[in-house]
Amino acid sequence: MRISRFAAVTATIAASALVLSACAAPQSEVVEGSSITVAWNQPFYSYNSNTSFGNATANANIVYLTSGAFNYYDNGPTLLKDESFGTYELVSEDPLTVKYTVADDVQWSDGTPVDGADLLLAWAANSGVLNTPDFDPGEFTDPETGEFTDEYPTDVVYFDGAIGAGLQLVTETPEIDGKSITLVYDEFFVDWELVFGVGLPAHVVAQRALGIDDAAEAKTALIEAVQNVDAEALAPISNTWNSDWNFTELPAEEDANLLVVNGPYQITDFVADQSITLSANPNYRGDNLPNIEEITIRFITDPLAAVQALANGEVDIISPQATADVADALAALDGVTVLSGEEAVYEHIDLQFAESKNGTFDNPLVREAFLKTIPRQQIIDTLIKPLNPEAEVRNSQIFIPGAPGYDETVANNGMDAFTDVDIEGAQALLAEAGVTAPNVCILYASNNPRRVNEFALIQASAAEAGFVIEDCGSPEWGGLLGTPGAYDAVFFGWQSTSLGVTNSSPTFRTGGINNLNFYSNPEVDTLLDELDVTLDVDRQIEIQVEIDKLLMDDFYGLTIFQFPAVTAFSDRVTNVDPGPLSPTIFWNAWDWEPTEAN
Amino acid sequence: MAAFVIRRLVASVFVLLAATFLMYNLVALSGDPLEDLRASNAPNKEQLIESRIKLLRLDVIPPLRYFLWLGGVFQGDLGLTVQQRSVNALLEQALGSTLQLVTIATVVAIILGLTVGITTALRQYSGYDYTVTFISFLFFSLPIFWVAVLLKQFVAIGFNDFLEDDPQLPVWLIALLTIAAGLLWASIIPGALRRKIITFAVAAGATASMLVIMNLIDWFSYPGLSIVGVAIIGIGAAVGLTALITGLKNRRALYAALVVAGLGLALYFPFQFGISYSITEWWMLVALAIASVGVSLAIGWFMGGVDKGPVMRVAAFTGFFTAGAIALDRFMMVWDDYASSGRIRGRPIATIGSSTPNLEGSLWVQGVDIYTHLLLPTLALILISFATYTRYSRASLLEVMNQDYIRTARAKGLAERTVVVRHAFRNALIPIATIVAFDIGGIVGGAVITERVFGWTGMGALFQNGLDQVDPNPVMAFFLVVGGLAILFNLIADLVYAALDPRIRVN
Repeated sequence: MRISRFAAVTATIAASALVLSACAAPQSEVVEGSSITVAWNQPFYSYNSNTSFGNATANANIVYLTSGAFNYYDNGPTLLKDESFGTYELVSEDPLTVKYTVADDVQWSDGTPVDGADLLLAWAANSGVLNTPDFDPGEFTDPETGEFTDEYPTDVVYFDGAIGAGLQLVTETPEIDGKSITLVYDEFFVDWELVFGVGLPAHVVAQRALGIDDAAEAKTALIEAVQNVDAEALAPISNTWNSDWNFTELPAEEDANLLVVNGPYQITDFVADQSITLSANPNYRGDNLPNIEEITIRFITDPLAAVQALANGEVDIISPQATADVADALAALDGVTVLSGEEAVYEHIDLQFAESKNGTFDNPLVREAFLKTIPRQQIIDTLIKPLNPEAEVRNSQIFIPGAPGYDETVANNGMDAFTDVDIEGAQALLAEAGVTAPNVCILYASNNPRRVNEFALIQASAAEAGFVIEDCGSPEWGGLLGTPGAYDAVFFGWQSTSLGVTNSSPTFRTGGINNLNFYSNPEVDTLLDELDVTLDVDRQIEIQVEIDKLLMDDFYGLTIFQFPAVTAFSDRVTNVDPGPLSPTIFWNAWDWEPTEAN
Repeated sequence: MAAFVIRRLVASVFVLLAATFLMYNLVALSGDPLEDLRASNAPNKEQLIESRIKLLRLDVIPPLRYFLWLGGVFQGDLGLTVQQRSVNALLEQALGSTLQLVTIATVVAIILGLTVGITTALRQYSGYDYTVTFISFLFFSLPIFWVAVLLKQFVAIGFNDFLEDDPQLPVWLIALLTIAAGLLWASIIPGALRRKIITFAVAAGATASMLVIMNLIDWFSYPGLSIVGVAIIGIGAAVGLTALITGLKNRRALYAALVVAGLGLALYFPFQFGISYSITEWWMLVALAIASVGVSLAIGWFMGGVDKGPVMRVAAFTGFFTAGAIALDRFMMVWDDYASSGRIRGRPIATIGSSTPNLEGSLWVQGVDIYTHLLLPTLALILISFATYTRYSRASLLEVMNQDYIRTARAKGLAERTVVVRHAFRNALIPIATIVAFDIGGIVGGAVITERVFGWTGMGALFQNGLDQVDPNPVMAFFLVVGGLAILFNLIADLVYAALDPRIRVN
């Protein structure tokens, strides 16, 4: 009895529900859109890549795509100017004075114009001139969050910018005039062209730091604070500049002004540890107008996972670390274009001029003999060509292959004579020096399989000429670099971050910070001094060619190869053409074109 | 009891302290944290090196630095990474994403492993038993990174290729699956040769016709259960669960289960084309699941008669399965929309990450997206841990089945179902409970490789990135959580054992 009554109720409910729902029609549930997806090996975590916190390529790539710049590197690499963003001119050489002017219609994505306030903030932040002297922010940093604690003094100014990169030489507060700024350097600085650009939006920094709503008012407040060195206002400004742009997922609605940018793209979505999405910026007025509406960058650490994601159509462009496995996996894919190329890191072998373990290389004849035994071509053929079939021996300590001046220096410095081994020549030189069985202790990264292989090749070749090679390889090689009496020769990689001429100075100057082999040549020092004050590009190249020659004459060492790089992309995109310097694959993202398959 | 727990906890703290000390020093001494800066020729290299030394306290030797770190831990602060990111925040994110990854895999592996283990024990030395033994040992011995790459190649890339142009199962595959299904069922269901042949024929016929129908209706492009599939699942669950839990002789239970299934079917159309559109948040779906179980329990209570407990249980399980089938069908309805959207472009099974970037859509579309992303890593994790569970549950049930009290139960004339479910199964679960507890403790730390291969940024990434950069803080956060869980679940396993088995006392 009870059962049937219950069933009747059930049936009634069900029937009425059926009737009620009959009018609802199915609706579409997917919102369409198309995009190009790029894989990168590290998640983005800070939009201010000028701070020591945010200084990483994963961040720099996104900043590059979303920012206008006075100049940028192409894949040559050559420095290109973008006059649709702004112009700069050298007003005077003594004192070095540079005037930067932002183009008229350049604006932030919220419609605020880019002007002198933004330029002034960039100077204040990256010169560090306004920072309170002798202030150690570590004392007031909460180790848990990395942010500043409540005890942080309210009148202390600390911009954690790219201090030391060159802008610190502009100590006098620069003049601004409408959309331009004039920087006056205290000392001559030859790489002035590489150190200045617009960074974060000044009006947003001031709005957030000083609690002002109106953009124009905020800019005025910021300009006044900088010009009057008003520590009370600059303290929160510097704090905001240092930390507010560190976000690891899309900022909340009330912090949306963190996403104000002035470049071809703007950030429209960001899922923590997964992906960041950039869409074309409708307020962008420059020449680098993008063809692709939306670029999504997915964070994929594992190189083979990136290859399989490409095969499965989940990503369209990948640039994984080049290994034999990756090369094999890519070769097996259909419909994928694979570009072999070079990274900005190059392998080189240096000989210790002083403070060496055995003193073997105090004699130039022995140095020359040893360099003759380095099987550079063989190393490239066996270790690099499988990854980059076009790989060639790098023949310059200073110039990146392809950069202006590289061909001249190769014709001049004589390093190409050391491409293949010359055992007999080496033996003759050793005989001339009157040395038998000299000991050479070689330091290298013994936890890196490629370097272990390189060592084996060098060891076998040098032994033929009579050298006694000691295996001084160590996983701790980085800490041993420059340690007196630890080794006689070392091979490792130098990373080039720009074409700036000041880059070579710390390496080759007597006592320079990167001079780890105690090399000292007064002639080179003089030339480096001259280079530091030479603005004429042709003369710069001449000097560098001369230094390159002197280094070879001293048998400083040999450069071996550029690290191989590999880029692969699907048939949904064209015009991908990576360069060696950061931002590698992204340098021409605005020229990428979708294909019909997109 | 309390004394035991306290003693164990105190001992555990010392173990953890010693272990973290060792681990911290091993990580700190594993390489050079300044290596990347040393090879750089950035103009402000000196400042960068100095600030990192200051940040990571590299001026203090590792054994002493450990105590600085430990001091922070006692204040709930796990320090900063090399990139100055807060380890606490990273840990929170990582733990969330790892739990999302391993929870489903663990639950499925346990259920599947127990089921298969028990059935193999009941059919000891049958062809089915030998096959499962072979397969589970095979999976047990496979390295997970390799399994993962194979899964990506065949289950993702291969299956997506299959889906892309007019997906039709080839004849040879249908034949193979038909024979396999026939053999499987013939091997599980006992009986003489004649009966086995009939079982084989029925199972093979059902499989073949189902696959042919799937081909005919283009099921792989437009998957779905439809009301027919839901009816089969609902009524099947009603009958099957009644048979398993109370026996089919209990008519009240059977009728209650059938009413629940019928109610589910009656709500099929209203739900699919009406109610489901207003479900926009996950909690709503959970609430609905709870509601359907609640309603089923109520039906069981009303129809339960004298012995309400078992009837309610049968009704609740049936309600859960029927509601689950309806929800599954609802997810399948958006499959085509999902697969053909501009974000997916006809290749739905994903090889990396936890979601498709920028995919917008209803809860149902999001659900399918989660499914396509979780599928491969979950499969990989299950394949590996499945073996352990089947082996243990098989051995445990076999041991129990040979006990005297089982013989007594049989001698009393109890039905085989009652003997197995009431007397054997419950006792066989006792040792397995401890293994499950161990496993849950270990699984958070055990997915390091799986995470990396499938592009999940979880605990594994925290551990590995820390180790790569010779950065002890994130590694130690990983170690604290994993080590802490291992110790905690060891303790829980002991307590559970004591609680389940009255013969054992903790003291």
